[in-house]
Amino acid sequence: MESEDDMHDANEVASVEEDDNYYSGGEDDHDMDEAGEGEDYGYDYDEEEDDDAADYDFIANSDDGDDALVSRSQKNYTILKEEDIQRRQFEDITKISTVLSIPREAACILLRRYNWSVNNVHEEWFADEENVRRAVGILEKPVVKSPNYKEVSCGICFESYSIGKLRTLACSHLFCDTCWKAYISTSINDGPGCLVLRCPDPSCGAAVGQDMIDKLASHEDKEKYRRYLLRSYVEDSRKIKWCPAPGCDSAVEYVVGSGSYDVTCSCSHSFCWNCAEEAHRPVDCETVAKWVLKNSAESENMNWILANSKPCPKCKRPIEKNQGCMHMTCTPPCKFEFCWLCLGQWSDHGERTGGFYACNRYEAAKQEGVYDESERRREMAKNSLERYTHYYERWASNQSSRQKAMADLHQMQSVHLEKLSEVQCQPESQLKFIIEAWQQIVECRKVLKWTYAYGFYLPEAEHTKKQFFEYLQGEAEAGLERLHQCAEKELMNYLSSEGPSKDFNDFRTKLAGLTSVTRNYFENLVRALENGLSDVDSQAVCNKMSSKTAAGTSKSKSGRGKGSSKTGTAVRNADDSGSWACDKCTYMNARSAAACHVCNHRR
Amino acid sequence: MTSDSASSRKALSKIASNRLQKELVEWQVNPPAGFKHIPTDNLKRWVIEVNGAPGTLYAGEMYQLQVDFPEHYPMEAPQVIFVPPAPLHPHIYSNGHICLDILYDSWSPAMTVSSICISILSMLSSSPAKQRPADNDRYVKNCKNGRSPKETRWWFHDDKV
Repeated sequence: MESEDDMHDANEVASVEEDDNYYSGGEDDHDMDEAGEGEDYGYDYDEEEDDDAADYDFIANSDDGDDALVSRSQKNYTILKEEDIQRRQFEDITKISTVLSIPREAACILLRRYNWSVNNVHEEWFADEENVRRAVGILEKPVVKSPNYKEVSCGICFESYSIGKLRTLACSHLFCDTCWKAYISTSINDGPGCLVLRCPDPSCGAAVGQDMIDKLASHEDKEKYRRYLLRSYVEDSRKIKWCPAPGCDSAVEYVVGSGSYDVTCSCSHSFCWNCAEEAHRPVDCETVAKWVLKNSAESENMNWILANSKPCPKCKRPIEKNQGCMHMTCTPPCKFEFCWLCLGQWSDHGERTGGFYACNRYEAAKQEGVYDESERRREMAKNSLERYTHYYERWASNQSSRQKAMADLHQMQSVHLEKLSEVQCQPESQLKFIIEAWQQIVECRKVLKWTYAYGFYLPEAEHTKKQFFEYLQGEAEAGLERLHQCAEKELMNYLSSEGPSKDFNDFRTKLAGLTSVTRNYFENLVRALENGLSDVDSQAVCNKMSSKTAAGTSKSKSGRGKGSSKTGTAVRNADDSGSWACDKCTYMNARSAAACHVCNHRR
Repeated sequence: MTSDSASSRKALSKIASNRLQKELVEWQVNPPAGFKHIPTDNLKRWVIEVNGAPGTLYAGEMYQLQVDFPEHYPMEAPQVIFVPPAPLHPHIYSNGHICLDILYDSWSPAMTVSSICISILSMLSSSPAKQRPADNDRYVKNCKNGRSPKETRWWFHDDKV
């Protein structure tokens, strides 16, 4: 069931963004986050009930289901703001200081030495206290006798002082305040090494704790020290990492071994906790690293290929892609509709004529003919570049499409929604389905993008897997294109109409339906790729697993019958190729299948 | 020309020159065995004669150390090099640079010229063979134009010599 939780990353993004105000107050961590979300969703739900609840059953219920999923999936990581980190650090120090009966500064030194793991400190300390004390420099008694004459010289400047003017750590090595200050300041300005500063005496291991820093460092240096200490809490810990987004200073604590590494920071940046790249589920970190490296090496070649424009396949005028979806329409008088990826006629892409969406496929034009050696080699080099270009272009297109979609989502939230609410006389709370659609698009573009890196590294020889992969990817991509088109283009009509449109409720049903169908497609895709496409070998196992999941889903969303049956119809209309949508789970099955590939429901 | 690193071009701070004067007085009263301070009128650069310890590979040999003090001595380490010809030693490069941790990362303001000298003599005395470091030629080539050894990122891997 783990994978199901993760599947709803998109929803999680949504809730984190919407609940911004709950977080910003945030002095509490995960407990409060969850409470915050619960309240927020509850509020929306109530409002929907106040309105014509019966009509929008579907929306309200799907919301309800999401709520449960969100709170479950939230548990595998926690977002920590600076205050949270500081508070935790403070609490850990308090714990150690209390249990071991040592001063706070000593507890801090100990924790830093053992990577801020309270357990490790306990273990090491109780196993061999004396050894630990020696190793970290927490001394119990002086290593030299304190001199009993009045005038003593400082160990650094060699000036004489009365003994009361000199300062020492537990070791009794005496230095004057001027030298101590210079020593501490030099060390702090040298970098994070100041956290392990020892007594200036070369043979002495006594540690300089925060109490000394507080007494002797300048205000500015104290602040630097505090930052190093804070950074150390995150950077030395095995469970916490900084959010890599520029300008963000939150950190993310991850429950190691809890499944997907994809996390979304409160700054809305999604990244892989393991490798710090942008979130790349379902592709593994290794593949992503290879792909990123390859792109950086090849990008010089790619630049000219992917110059921002392409000629219209019909009239040859250059066209710049300025919208997110792949459905292009040339400007009048040409008005040729084509697919940005394959430059083929758009009507071949499923929607209208029921053609088969296939422009995600890479067919290496392998012709068995008589080649001479040099021509064969040239052909191979060309093929390899072409093959890479194919995947890279689709990867990059989805990337920019995603960025556009993120901008559109923002525009929608900040401008259009209000306008639409006015034009269509609908309260904004009733237009949430549009935001959900855009969030789904953003999430899916990301997944789709990474599937192209996956496809590039899928061995050519594994024909069955490759076919299955391209089938799933194609289905998902086609679904996403439908959704993206609907959210981008059809919505415009309602936005620009003079007054309320009669068919706005149909549009709502269609868009919400497409959103949920697309989510299903992508869930299947992600699950299949994370299984290493093992369904090809062991169909039975997969079916068993999926049916369990599907049962759970339908349970949590009971009462959405109305919506889903409509959705099913819409999709069946959209694709007359003989594919059929499952009545139970809406999955698009191949014509030949007698039972649903996902939930085994009979046709 | 060979050793003026950027940090050593500035005049000594008051604290630095006070401390150096004290060190010099102490040295004259109690010089480390095997070393001789060659008097100059420049407090910022000391030249010290080193005599190889009897019974070691360097017995009877004589070398010169040049010690340059930075503005904020002793918070910052002095720059210590052998004036070529430098002794043949696995941690001493032919341009006089010395690979010894206390001169760089492990410097502490509680150390003195005298304690540095003792460390260097001990390093010489424990040498098993008169030879240059394995990377001598490459290193020396990279140090052209009088680069200071303090700008090198040293890697102290051998604690036997």
